[in-house]
Amino acid sequence: MRPYQEEYISNLKEGIALSWSGQEIPSFQEYLTQAEAQKQRAEERAKRNMRLLREELFPVLDHIYDADEEDIRGLEEFAGQLLSGREELDVGLFCQVHKALLSLARRRKDRNSMIRELYWLGMAYYNLCNKMVGLANSDSQTYTSRMRLCFTEAAAYLKYFDEIQDQETRGYILRSRANMALGKFPTPGEKIRMVKRTLEILQDKGYQEKEPGLPWDRFIYMTHQQMAASISYSKESTMTSQDMEDVMESVYIVYQRRLQEAEERNEKPPLRPLFSYSAIEYYCGMYGLDELLTKMEALMDTADSTDFTPDSMYGIISLPAFYCQYMNEYPDKISGREEYIIHLYQRVVDYAESFPKASENEALFLYLRQLSLTFVELEGGISYKEFLLKLQVRFAPGIYVHSRMVADAAAVFSEMIINEEPDFFDDIEEIRQIADPEEKRQMLRTFAVECGMLHDVGKINFMNLYSQAARQWFEEEYEMAHLHTLVGSTWLAERKSTARYAPVALGHHSWYDGSRGYPASYERLQCSCRQMVDVIGLLDWINNVTDTARLYTGQEKTFEEAVEGAIALEGRRFSPLLTARLRDKKITEQLEAAIEEGRRAAFRQLYENRGS
Amino acid sequence: MVWDALKRAEREQLEVHLPKEGRLQRAESMGIQSMGNRDLNENKGHLVVERCQDGEARILYADSMASELSGLAPEALFAANPEQVVKQLEVTTAELDEEHELWILDTAVNRRQRIAQLEHMNAALEDALKAAEAANQAKSSFLSNMSHDIRTPMNAIVGMTSIGLAHIDEKPRVQNCLMKIKTASGHLMSLVNDVLDMSRIDSGRLTLNEEIFSLADLVHDLAVILRPQAAQKNQSLQIEIGKIYEESLLGDPLRLRQVMVNIIGNAIKYTQNNGVISVCFSQYQKAAAEAEPTEEKALFLDFICEDNGIGMSEAFLEKIFLPFERVNNTTISKIEGTGLGMAIVKNLVDRMGGEITVESKEGEGSSFHVTLPVAVDPQNRKETALPAGGMILVAESREDRAAQISACLEACGVTLIRTRSGLETVTWLTEAQYESHMPDAILVGQVLEDMSVLELVAHVRQLAGTNFPIVLVSEEDWAQIEYRAVRAGVNAFVPCPLFRSRLIATLSELTDSDREQEGQQGNEDSDYSKYRVLLVEDIELNQEIAMEMLSMFGVQVEVADNGAEALERFVTSPEGWYDIIFMDIQMPVMDGYEATKQIRQLDRADAESIWIVAMTANAFVEDIRLSREAGMNEHCSKPVEPERLQEILRGRFG
Repeated sequence: MRPYQEEYISNLKEGIALSWSGQEIPSFQEYLTQAEAQKQRAEERAKRNMRLLREELFPVLDHIYDADEEDIRGLEEFAGQLLSGREELDVGLFCQVHKALLSLARRRKDRNSMIRELYWLGMAYYNLCNKMVGLANSDSQTYTSRMRLCFTEAAAYLKYFDEIQDQETRGYILRSRANMALGKFPTPGEKIRMVKRTLEILQDKGYQEKEPGLPWDRFIYMTHQQMAASISYSKESTMTSQDMEDVMESVYIVYQRRLQEAEERNEKPPLRPLFSYSAIEYYCGMYGLDELLTKMEALMDTADSTDFTPDSMYGIISLPAFYCQYMNEYPDKISGREEYIIHLYQRVVDYAESFPKASENEALFLYLRQLSLTFVELEGGISYKEFLLKLQVRFAPGIYVHSRMVADAAAVFSEMIINEEPDFFDDIEEIRQIADPEEKRQMLRTFAVECGMLHDVGKINFMNLYSQAARQWFEEEYEMAHLHTLVGSTWLAERKSTARYAPVALGHHSWYDGSRGYPASYERLQCSCRQMVDVIGLLDWINNVTDTARLYTGQEKTFEEAVEGAIALEGRRFSPLLTARLRDKKITEQLEAAIEEGRRAAFRQLYENRGS
Repeated sequence: MVWDALKRAEREQLEVHLPKEGRLQRAESMGIQSMGNRDLNENKGHLVVERCQDGEARILYADSMASELSGLAPEALFAANPEQVVKQLEVTTAELDEEHELWILDTAVNRRQRIAQLEHMNAALEDALKAAEAANQAKSSFLSNMSHDIRTPMNAIVGMTSIGLAHIDEKPRVQNCLMKIKTASGHLMSLVNDVLDMSRIDSGRLTLNEEIFSLADLVHDLAVILRPQAAQKNQSLQIEIGKIYEESLLGDPLRLRQVMVNIIGNAIKYTQNNGVISVCFSQYQKAAAEAEPTEEKALFLDFICEDNGIGMSEAFLEKIFLPFERVNNTTISKIEGTGLGMAIVKNLVDRMGGEITVESKEGEGSSFHVTLPVAVDPQNRKETALPAGGMILVAESREDRAAQISACLEACGVTLIRTRSGLETVTWLTEAQYESHMPDAILVGQVLEDMSVLELVAHVRQLAGTNFPIVLVSEEDWAQIEYRAVRAGVNAFVPCPLFRSRLIATLSELTDSDREQEGQQGNEDSDYSKYRVLLVEDIELNQEIAMEMLSMFGVQVEVADNGAEALERFVTSPEGWYDIIFMDIQMPVMDGYEATKQIRQLDRADAESIWIVAMTANAFVEDIRLSREAGMNEHCSKPVEPERLQEILRGRFG
C-alpha cells in the first residue's frame, strides 16, 4: 500500500478505537471534556482523510486508464483493508475503488480482472443490503439488484470454466455463483432453488476434477449453511414440499457437522443447528407449533447470559427474535406466554448492557436490530419505545446526543408557540382533546420530547454513515442516508407505544412546500401532526448544520448562521409560522440554551450508563 | 251571433251558396256576406234555417256541401222543407237568434271518421305535449344541473382563492388551493366547451376538418391524457392495439380524440376505484356491397371501450345519446358533467359516417363500440425496414407485451431472443459478449421478474459499452422517466401501446449500419459538430483524454489550462461562442469554483445561460453542493466515462 493509504486506514481504525464508554473517567465534567476532545479529533481526522483522498487517491482514479500494475495492486490491497470479512472500515470508498477497477478491466477487456472486480463490487453491495434490515423489499431492492447483477455477470463465466485456467478466477466464479442467493427474495422457494442449483454445481465432479486445488468441501458446507439459514425466512405456507426436502437435507448435514465439531472440542452442541433441525421437523409436519415453541424455549433457556460467544448471542437474541416472529404470526400463542416473553426481553437488555465493548460488536448490533423487527409489546414488559432508546444509548450515542438536543429544543419551542397560540398544535388529536391549558402544555412537552428522541431512530441501520463516518459522504451515501426516514417510520408505525411518532420519523426531512426533501411518501397536508413534524424538521436541521452533520456533509455554520439560513429558507424548506419566531432574539437564545442543555443531559445519561 | 257563426265558417273555409235575392238582402241586413265558391275540405254542410211564426221552416242559405249531402241542387234545396232535407243526415243545430238556426249537416260515416280522426289527433297532441314537457323537464333539469355544476367549481374557485389569500405566507397551503382552483377551472372549462359544442351541433355550425394524422400519435395522446386520471382511482387502464393496416390517416384528429376521450373518460368516471377499463383499437377492411372485386376495400377503425363500472339501466340506455341525460345513481352523485358528452359523441360519430353502439348491465359494466370509416393518407410513406438477419434481445416478463414486440419484428426477418428477468438477461449478454455474437440492440420492457428495468439498464450499459443500443418499451409517460432513464443508459424510448412503425423506425435509426461505423468513433445518434466546448483542465494528460472523448462526439473543443484562462477566453469570445464549459475544480491560478462564479457575474447575456459542468474526482456531497453554489449546472465524476459525457451532451443539446 502507498503511505497515504496506510495513513487513511490507520485513521479509520483510530476512529473506531475511540469508544464512547468503557473508560475510567472520574467525573462527568472530565467525561464531557473528553467527549468534546474526541469529537474534535474525529473532525480533524476526517479533514485529514479528505485531504488524503483529494490529493492522493482521486488523481489516481482520475488516471485509472493509465494506471500501472503497481498502482492497481496498491488499490486492490487498499480496498481489501477498507472492507474484509472481518472488518468494515469504509464500504463507500471500497465501492468507489472497485468501480474504477472494474471500469478499467472492462476497458482493457481483461476477463479475469473483470470477474474479480464484479465479485468484490457485489460484496460491497451485499454489505449495503445488510443495512436495509426492516425495510420493505421495494425500498431496498436497488441494492439487492445491484449486488445480484454483479454476482450474476461474474457467475455467467461458469460456462467457460474450461477455458479459464486461472484458479483464483475460477474460485471467484464459483463464489459469485453461490452469492447470487444472498439477500432477500420475494419467496423462500426462489432462494432455495438458487442455493440448490449452486450445490449441484459445487457437487459436480466434473468441475471438481478440473480444479482440485479449490476448497470444494468448504464451498459445499458453506452453501449447506446458506440453505439451512433460509429456514429462518421461510414460512410453511410459501414452501413447497420439494423446498422443505432440500432444506432438510442441508439442515441435517450442518447439524451433524456442528455436533461433531462440538464433540471434538468437548463443547456443548451449538444452538443454531439445533433450532434449524427442530424448525425443519416442524415444517415437515412432524409436530405442531406448540411443540416447536416448547423446544425453542428449552434452547433459549440453555443459553448462558454470561457467555458472549456468537452461539450464546444467537440463543439470547436471535432465537427470541424467531420465537416472537411466530408470536406475531400467531397472536393466539401469546396467551399464557406473556411472562416468558417479558423475561426474554429483559434478559436481552441485561445481556446487551453487560456485553463487553458492545458498541463495537457489529454482530450483536445486527441481532438486536433483527430482534426489534419482531418485537412483541406486552403490558408490564419493556415497551418498544424504551427498547429503541436503549439501543440508541448503547450503540448509537452520537444519534442519541443529537436526538436529545433536538428533543429538548422542541419541548421549549413548542411551549413558546402554544403559549402564544393555544390551538397551534390542535392538528394532533390527543392535544386537541385536552381542555385544561396546563395539562395541554404538559402533554405537548412530553410529545415534543419523544418525537425528538425518536425522529432519527432509523439511522441505527446506517451507523457506518453516521457515528463511524471518517470523511464526507459520497453522493450515493447521501442517497442511502435518506432511507433512515423510511426505516424509522416503518419501525415506529408497527408498535402501539411508538406509532404516533412515525410521521415525525418519516417527514422531518421533507420540505415545507413539498418541492424537495425526502421521502416522496410523506405528504405534509395529509399528516396528522404536521406542525410537530415541521418543528422537529427545523430543529434537526439547525442542529445538523451547526454540530452533528458537519462531519459528513461539510456544512459548518454557527448557531446564528443556521438561524439566518433557516429564515432564508422560509416558506420553502421551513414553515414560515416557525421561522417567523426565529426573528425574535429572545427565542433563539432560549433555543440555543435548550440545545446545549439537551447535549449535557444526553452526555450525563451516557456517562451514567458507561460501563454498566 | 249569425255574424260570429259565419266568421267561424269563414275561418273554416266554407263555401256559402248565395240565396235568392230577397233572402240575400235580409241575410245581408243581418250581416251575412257572400263568400263565393271555395274548395270544400270539410265534409260538413251548413244551412241557415228561418223559423216562421206559423212554425214552418225555410232555408235562407246553404253551402255547396249541404247541397251535396242532401242530394238536391241549390234551387231545389231552397224550395225544400228543411226537415225533409236532413232526414237521412246527422244534424247539429245552433240557435242564431230567435228566428234563425244554423244547421250543421253530416253523414253518420263521416262523423265516425271524424271522431276517430279527432281522437287520433288528440292522442298525437297528447304525445307531443308529453314529449315537449319531457324535453322541457330535461332542459329544466339541465339548467338546474348546470347551475349546480357551474356553482360547484365556482364555489371552489372563490372559496379556495379566499383561503389562499388568508394564508398567503403558507406556500404549501396556497399551492394546495391553487391546485384545487386549477382542477375546478378545468372542470368549468369542460362544461362550457360541452355546451358550446352542443350548441354548434344544434345549429349545424360544427364542421369536420380533414388533415393527415398519425393513429399512433392519437392513441399515445389518449394514453397520456387518460392514464393519470385512471391512476388517481387506482384503475387499470389497458390500451391495446389489434390489427392495424394503416397508421397515417386522413380525418379530423381533434374530433376523433374528443369522441374517444369522452368515452374512455366516462368509463373512468363511472368505474369504481381499482376497476378495470380496457380499450382496443383495430382496423378492418370491407368491400362495399356494390363494389367491383378489383376495387380497393374501404378501411374502418374499430374502437372498443369496456369497463367493469356501475353500468347503466335499460331505461337509461335508451336515452344515453340524448342531450342533458346523466346516470342517476346515488353512488355517483358526486360525478359532475353536463350530460352532453354522449350526445356530442353520437353526433360526431354520425357526422363522420360511423356507428356507435353500447351494451351495458347495471352493476356489471359497459361496453362502447365505435366503428368509423377512415381515409388513408394518400402520400403515406412506406415504413422503414430493418436489415434482415439481425438479432434483438427482448427483456420483458409480460407475455402479452413480448408477444406484441414479436409480432412487430418477426416479419422483418429479425431473430428475437427473449429473457424474462434481469439475471437471465445479464447471463445471456455476458455469454454473447464472450462469444462475440452480441445482439444488435436490447429492447427492455416495462416489467422484469426480479428487478426494476432501470437497474438492469444501468448494468447493461456498463457491460455492453457506450455503443450498444438500449431501447425502453413502456407505457409510462416518457416525460416523467426521461431523466432517470437517460442517466441509466437508455438510448431511445418507444411508447406503448406499441405501434410497429414506431418500433421499427427507432430500431432502424439506432442500428443503421452506416451509423454503426460512425459509432466506432463514439456517439451514434447525435451530431454535435455545431457545438463548441471549452475544456478547462490543468493536467495535460487529462486534457488529452477528455479531448479525445469529446471529439468522439463531434464537438469542437477549445482548451484552457486554468480557471483564469477560461475566464479570459469567455470574456473575449463573442456572446454565445461557447455552448458548454467542462470545468476542472482544482487548478492552479484560479480554481473551477472561482472561475464559474466570475463567469456568472459577468455582464453579458450568456453569462447566466452558459452550461458549466464540474469535471472532478471530488465526488463528495459537499463538492456537489459547492459546485451548485458556484453556479455549475452538472457534475461529472472522474474518471470520465464516454457514456457520462454523452449523457451530458444529450441532456444539453438533445
